[in-house]
Amino acid sequence: MKQKKSLAENGMLISILASVISIVVGLLFGFILLMILNPAKAGIGMSAMLTTGFSSMDQFGKVLYQSAPLMLCGLSVGFASKTGMFNIGASGQYTIGAFCALVGAIALQLPWYCCLVLALVGGGVWGIFPGLFKAVFNVNEVITSIMFNWIGMFMVNLLYANMPIMLASAWGASNSDRSAALSAANRGAIIPKAGLDKLFGNSSWINISVFIAILVAVIVWFILEKTTFGYELKACGLNKEASRYAGINANRNIVVSMIIAGGLSGLGGGLYYLAGTIQYVLEKRILSMGFNGIPVSLLANSNPIGTIFSSLFISYIQVGGSAMQPNFSSESTDIIIAVIIYLAAFALLTRGLIVRLLTGRNRKEGKA
Amino acid sequence: MNLLANIISLTIVFAVPLMLVALGGMYSEHSGVINLALEGIMVIGALCACFTLQAMDKNGFGPVHPQLSMLLAILVAGLSGMVFSLLLAFAAINLKADQTIGGTALNTFAPAFAVVVTWAVQGQGLTTIQIPSWIRITQATFGLEAGNGFFDSLIFKYFYLTTPIAVVLFFAAWILMYKTRFGLRLRACGEHPQAADSVGINVYKMRYSGVLISGFLGGIGGLAYTIAVGSGFSSSVGGYGFLALAVMIFGNWKPLQILGSSVFFALFKVIAAYNSSIPFLPKLEGLKDKSSLYQMLPYVVTMIVLIFTSKNSQAPKAEGIPYDKGSR
Amino acid sequence: MAEDYVIEMLHITKEFPGIKANDDITLQLKRGEIHALLGENGAGKSTLMSVLFGLYQPEEGVIKKDGKEVRINDPNDANRLGIGMVHQHFKLVECFSVLDNIILGVEDTRNGFLQYASARKKVMELSERYGLRVDPDALISDISVGMQQRVEILKMLYRDNEVLIFDEPTAVLTPQEIDELMEIMRGFKKEGKSILFITHKLAEIMAVADRCSVLRKGKYIGTVDIKGTTAQQLSKMMVGRDVQLTASKKKSVPGETVLSVRDLVVPSRTHSNNAVKGVSFDVRRGEIVCLAGIEGNGQTELIYGITGLEKISSGSVTLCGKDITHSSIRERSSSGMSHIPEDRHKHGLVLDYSLEKNLVLQKFRDPRFQSHGIIKADAVRTYAEGLIERFDIRSGQGPITISRSMSGGNQQKAIIAREIDKDPELLVAVQPTRGLDVGAIEYIHSQLIEERDAGKGVLLVSLELDEVMNLSDRILVMYEGNIVGEFDPAATTVEELGLYMAGARTQERKEA
Repeated sequence: MKQKKSLAENGMLISILASVISIVVGLLFGFILLMILNPAKAGIGMSAMLTTGFSSMDQFGKVLYQSAPLMLCGLSVGFASKTGMFNIGASGQYTIGAFCALVGAIALQLPWYCCLVLALVGGGVWGIFPGLFKAVFNVNEVITSIMFNWIGMFMVNLLYANMPIMLASAWGASNSDRSAALSAANRGAIIPKAGLDKLFGNSSWINISVFIAILVAVIVWFILEKTTFGYELKACGLNKEASRYAGINANRNIVVSMIIAGGLSGLGGGLYYLAGTIQYVLEKRILSMGFNGIPVSLLANSNPIGTIFSSLFISYIQVGGSAMQPNFSSESTDIIIAVIIYLAAFALLTRGLIVRLLTGRNRKEGKA
Repeated sequence: MNLLANIISLTIVFAVPLMLVALGGMYSEHSGVINLALEGIMVIGALCACFTLQAMDKNGFGPVHPQLSMLLAILVAGLSGMVFSLLLAFAAINLKADQTIGGTALNTFAPAFAVVVTWAVQGQGLTTIQIPSWIRITQATFGLEAGNGFFDSLIFKYFYLTTPIAVVLFFAAWILMYKTRFGLRLRACGEHPQAADSVGINVYKMRYSGVLISGFLGGIGGLAYTIAVGSGFSSSVGGYGFLALAVMIFGNWKPLQILGSSVFFALFKVIAAYNSSIPFLPKLEGLKDKSSLYQMLPYVVTMIVLIFTSKNSQAPKAEGIPYDKGSR
Repeated sequence: MAEDYVIEMLHITKEFPGIKANDDITLQLKRGEIHALLGENGAGKSTLMSVLFGLYQPEEGVIKKDGKEVRINDPNDANRLGIGMVHQHFKLVECFSVLDNIILGVEDTRNGFLQYASARKKVMELSERYGLRVDPDALISDISVGMQQRVEILKMLYRDNEVLIFDEPTAVLTPQEIDELMEIMRGFKKEGKSILFITHKLAEIMAVADRCSVLRKGKYIGTVDIKGTTAQQLSKMMVGRDVQLTASKKKSVPGETVLSVRDLVVPSRTHSNNAVKGVSFDVRRGEIVCLAGIEGNGQTELIYGITGLEKISSGSVTLCGKDITHSSIRERSSSGMSHIPEDRHKHGLVLDYSLEKNLVLQKFRDPRFQSHGIIKADAVRTYAEGLIERFDIRSGQGPITISRSMSGGNQQKAIIAREIDKDPELLVAVQPTRGLDVGAIEYIHSQLIEERDAGKGVLLVSLELDEVMNLSDRILVMYEGNIVGEFDPAATTVEELGLYMAGARTQERKEA
């Protein structure tokens, strides 16, 4: 009895251990790659990646700022996975959310919190499609999500091009390849800094977005763990047939969970672009922020509270990554992230291994 | 008239990578492994091939024997794609990993790896690998006079060795899938691996074969895409791996239909680029950035088609499900 | 000991985590005989055959072919030794043609290309010789289950196998198809092939087998000549006790009608015909009505139609006077229907949820367990602890045990606790004792009787005639989607029921 109990209590510990191991393996792999490419500079590059985030309050402010959209995209992917959906469409939802937020800010001249609501709604609308296609037509949500990433990106570009007021050129700047700077278009739409900039050495990055994101993470955790709605969602994800048997409308839950997941990604887009430091650049490229929600969620094992920490970590090494230039490209961090995702793909195996190492007994005995 | 020739030849040159990669996806899925990593495989194939071409250019062999060098680059593209796809195969088949997540990992890895390596090799900030101009097949390749007529544009404007090789690979892929023992066994593994196992077929081996073939075709597709775009390789294949996935679904996992749908998708890509000068298209007065609209359309059409075909989809039944010998 | 054994499996032991599926089993197959392997569900028959076919490796024991020891590591080895098997769940690729399925794995090729001509000729010859008519170009998905089985048999013949294993081949067949299969098996025997015939149907063994080996709970019980034995004797060997026909229960006092089903038609998921073809019956308070029949005769779909898991085509379902034909599953549940599902892993439990969460699977919306959408964790815990105590559900960590880690019997107890505690008007129980040990079975039976005595209506679906005779107050026999007979258990015999279940007889039913 006692043995079993301690193992079960270790469930959380095992998850954390598995994440730490994949981080370490990822960093090691990255380091080895740098060693091969440029042995003389590998050490400098690696330490730039690992220390920059804490090197100054300004950089740390950037870590916090970037972690907010990452956290929300991670929550989005994690939330969808609770109903058994793989939300690879966070990127499209994020793009739509960012667009809606900026429309609210620039075209409609709304205050920041209204813009965030628009972002939430916009992302939610984009989340309807994978859910609906799965529930009604039984189309794999991965396919729908990928298609709607592209549809979203092209559509947003099309809309920007046809809404001249949205572009920087309408607000005194010369370029028409990006959205207007909020400092020129609508200062009221910039997410307040609440004095944090003073605390962070006049960091231009920091604002209250990371606290909004943490609040959302706690709310998501509460919904999943404490409410009947979360109970239903998880039942659907774990066993769709059994939840149907229990009178839970599985299809409705799939759609609703995808709307919420989409809304979370969309809100992430809003938080990122309403900081006033970044303008949306019209490119024919899918934004990587949504995709980075995947490693954030995987590292956290889809746990909303864990997502807070994993997004901070990913943000931290991304900020560090840009400091690796000119010796190495900042994409070095993506390699580490890729290794982490790869290891997460067979997380069950890793976990099993950890359990065996921890208990020092083989599985057969453990079960009997 | 020349516009028509341009559109046709450009459509072909863009259809080539789509078809190759979609055929690759088809092989992987018929063996039972969802290959979401096609995008990453394309990037790796293009990266290695472009470095090969660059090296050929520098050592002087390329300008003298352009098509031989090109053939070598194509082989390098295919082989490197194959090696890279081993990572997916190992995770999906041996470790029974989640194939979607595994594919996502490779897609994250490949472009980052390409940038980092290009950066390290070419020096800081130089992230585009230039492709030598001698790789194009011109009239001179056949000892013909250069001209500017309809057929000159149609055939020679965008003629690369990848195109005839793609034609060969198309027929090879079709025959291999439907006329050989290997194809029959491969499809059995994607439909009902337990059945294949019960008649002594090694499901793991067949799935490895499927994924490796997709790696080979995907790698070549990456090179073909880079050539089609024509502005060098910048560590990206512009989402063509994902588009190829759509082509494969649109093509119902069948070679001939994949050929058709890759031409269809490529045509939209070309229309997006040429829409202002194509006379018969709706004018859509007042709409700016029409190219985004045309580029968006194939994805929308795919989704609409999926609505109608999902009820009796031809997708391999066992795709995405790791095969466990113990569970038979 | 100069017997001519083609296959000998000596002292085979095969363990899975937690159970010994085969414990020192010996099986000897003579050349040219039909040898039946008899045992209840879970006796270890399929495991033993999987060992012979190379799908599992035994921990102990040896296999001999023609007196020589052999190792069978995979189906290829089995095939090389001339051993073929018709699996219970067919191993056919649905989108392939019959011919493709037959040649798969042993294809003829020339220069790497598939050659069909000689394969087609051989298949046609074989089907002619053994009376196994098939269309070689038809797709598997387009032909009947009986035809599919013929394809499986042809697969073995095409490989020139001389030892043919049939794993529960009659479960999916119609009576005519069963007769045909028996004839085909006799034909094989005449041609000198040796047959291993796995079944738990005594009549089939008596009809076709020469000898019979009996397994019980993973152990070898014995081998007998069919000529010198009776079905009763075999039955006794199989179950290990005299079949109890008297249950300790009071006479039923049926009250008003709880469930009324009229002309119910339910489509099938596996084929285009209807699985239930216009069924009508009533269940009254204080009686256990049992739906008997061979698996796959529409019982599952009928229950799906009644409980709302499947949309019905036509007909009506009335619960306590309320028309619930088109009600949602939740409405049916709150109108007083409880359902112990056939598949406790698929429907009954969310295996990765804790026991307490599973115990409130339909009740979590009850104001007792939530307010404004927030779950009252304490109330759920207290409630779960109460049920665990009352129904003696054993688990490692009580309410927070993950259900997956519990034993089958305790999982089933949890479902029964949950369903009975709903205080239903009607309790639908589908094969509630499948795969459980005797203790759990007796407990579940007593619970069902208790419910009946408390004035509930009980609708029981069972494949085990023992259980049917023991528990029910009224028996309805289903055959091919229809109710073909209604019986009072006191006035009928297992033999009579068997005739109806096999479709040999049909009653004109007046009632309903």
